[in-house]
Amino acid sequence: MNLNEEYSTLIEIARKTGDPIKSDEAHVIVHANNILASKDVPGLVIDAEETEYGIRATFTVKAGFVLKKPVHLCFGHLGKEGKQVIESRIILEDGAKAKFYSHCIFPNAIEFLHAMEGDIVVGKGADMTYEEVHVHGPEGRIEVRPVTRVVVNEKGRYVSNFALIEGRVGILSLDVDVDVIGRLGSAEITSKIYGKYDDQCSVKDVIHLSGENSSGLAKARVVLKDHSFGKFYGEVQGAAEGAKGHVDCTEVVQGYAKAEAVPVVSVIHPGAEITHEAAIGKIANEKLWGLMAKGLSENEAIDVIVSGLLR
Amino acid sequence: MTEAPLLYVDDITVSRENGKKLLDQVTVKVGHGEIAGVLGRNGAGKTTLAYTIMGLPSYKPDSGRIFFEGEDITDLSITERARLGITLAWQYPARYEGITVAEYLRLSKKDASKRELEEALDFIQMEPFYLDRFVDKSLSGGERKRLELASVYLMRPKLAILDEPDSGVDMLAIGDVVRLFKRLADFGSSVLVITHRDDIASACDRAYLLCNGKVMLEGQPIAVKQYYMSLCGPCSDPLLASEVTSNEPK
Repeated sequence: MNLNEEYSTLIEIARKTGDPIKSDEAHVIVHANNILASKDVPGLVIDAEETEYGIRATFTVKAGFVLKKPVHLCFGHLGKEGKQVIESRIILEDGAKAKFYSHCIFPNAIEFLHAMEGDIVVGKGADMTYEEVHVHGPEGRIEVRPVTRVVVNEKGRYVSNFALIEGRVGILSLDVDVDVIGRLGSAEITSKIYGKYDDQCSVKDVIHLSGENSSGLAKARVVLKDHSFGKFYGEVQGAAEGAKGHVDCTEVVQGYAKAEAVPVVSVIHPGAEITHEAAIGKIANEKLWGLMAKGLSENEAIDVIVSGLLR
Repeated sequence: MTEAPLLYVDDITVSRENGKKLLDQVTVKVGHGEIAGVLGRNGAGKTTLAYTIMGLPSYKPDSGRIFFEGEDITDLSITERARLGITLAWQYPARYEGITVAEYLRLSKKDASKRELEEALDFIQMEPFYLDRFVDKSLSGGERKRLELASVYLMRPKLAILDEPDSGVDMLAIGDVVRLFKRLADFGSSVLVITHRDDIASACDRAYLLCNGKVMLEGQPIAVKQYYMSLCGPCSDPLLASEVTSNEPK
């Protein structure tokens, strides 16, 4: 397969994930450690270089710029084995606004490591949304290790959504650490995982609220079936006057799957308030029966409930 | 030869594992196009009766049979009963995260047009903007309950069991509830209303008074209502009262 074919295949798969990469939108398309395409737009500076196993890139959204269309980051590999390491730094300067959409595409991976080391800085009054969607094949055991460190400054807002619900998860170790250091800053982290077979899913979401009147939400929706295993560690720490945070975890277990949830709420300032809710177990009977009374079979009812949960 | 009733609950007894009878030799009939009411205080066994007719696994009769359109459905699952045309509007409808009101309603009628969805919402006095809302904790209990009634309205079942359709915060006025089941009857549905409100029961074609798991009286709604108002006190059985007052499925 040549680079053109790899490019076309990645674009086609990304299109099917629901948010296609359009030619007029900012993007970086990477296969293995080859940068196949790169396009910037006014207000966005992309500085990317190839490394031995992937790329190293810095994306800077200049102060005051509002990017109306998403910036697409497509990191993929169409082979069965290998390793890809992405080192990224995303900076939203003061007052900037942007949505980054990361497509991680490994449809054929069997023995593969995909590691991401990300640093994100959200400037004063900046607003960043980060969506990461993975496409894995139905077989194989890909190992996915995204590690992200985020700093949110005064009145900045960071929202992230991570979804791994198509194909096999493989071995996932998701690690997100957000420090909301600015007054009135906010962070919302949502992780949605669908584990199957013997997938191993570990999600660690941590938010430190050290800015006055800052707020944070760490939310996970994990559905596990077959012999999969899932563990959610969600921590929100209130460390400033008026800081408000919440940890919200739902893990649904089917078959022989096992789940653990560790919601941690910590307060080191008397003016902070952190709450949590966690539900772990099988789908509640009243939800199933409610749908079955409309004529759905039990399996159909489970599908409806699970797809809603992972939406 | 007399036509068999649409629903015939024939002498059923339902017990807890400890032997406590929740329903004791209960017989209830609902005719085609009929609106029947089951009236009783908290703890009388009304919701247990609804769950038993709907076929919830924990509410299988120890004895007696349930017939629908002349067929014995006692051993059928919830799904099988629903597909025959029975449905239940729950007293406390569940929440469904990530499911919009429009999607939820289309579970009752797959090919429903937007206009039909809006009509169903309008009927229970909900604005069209609700179609994009999620059936999760962002909807109040009253809103979810109205939605449940809209869902039944859209489904046009042969038998609609409405469990305390008027209870809860922000619910419809009594007149609107009565209008709802009259409208269902106009469509050819039969309705079994579970209620502790005598004014709702009095709008039915036939009424049953349930007390301590037993049918105390059956007949004209006005007579049942008068008996209920004059003689029927709060249920004295604490076990039954706690069972049905909570109204959460076992």
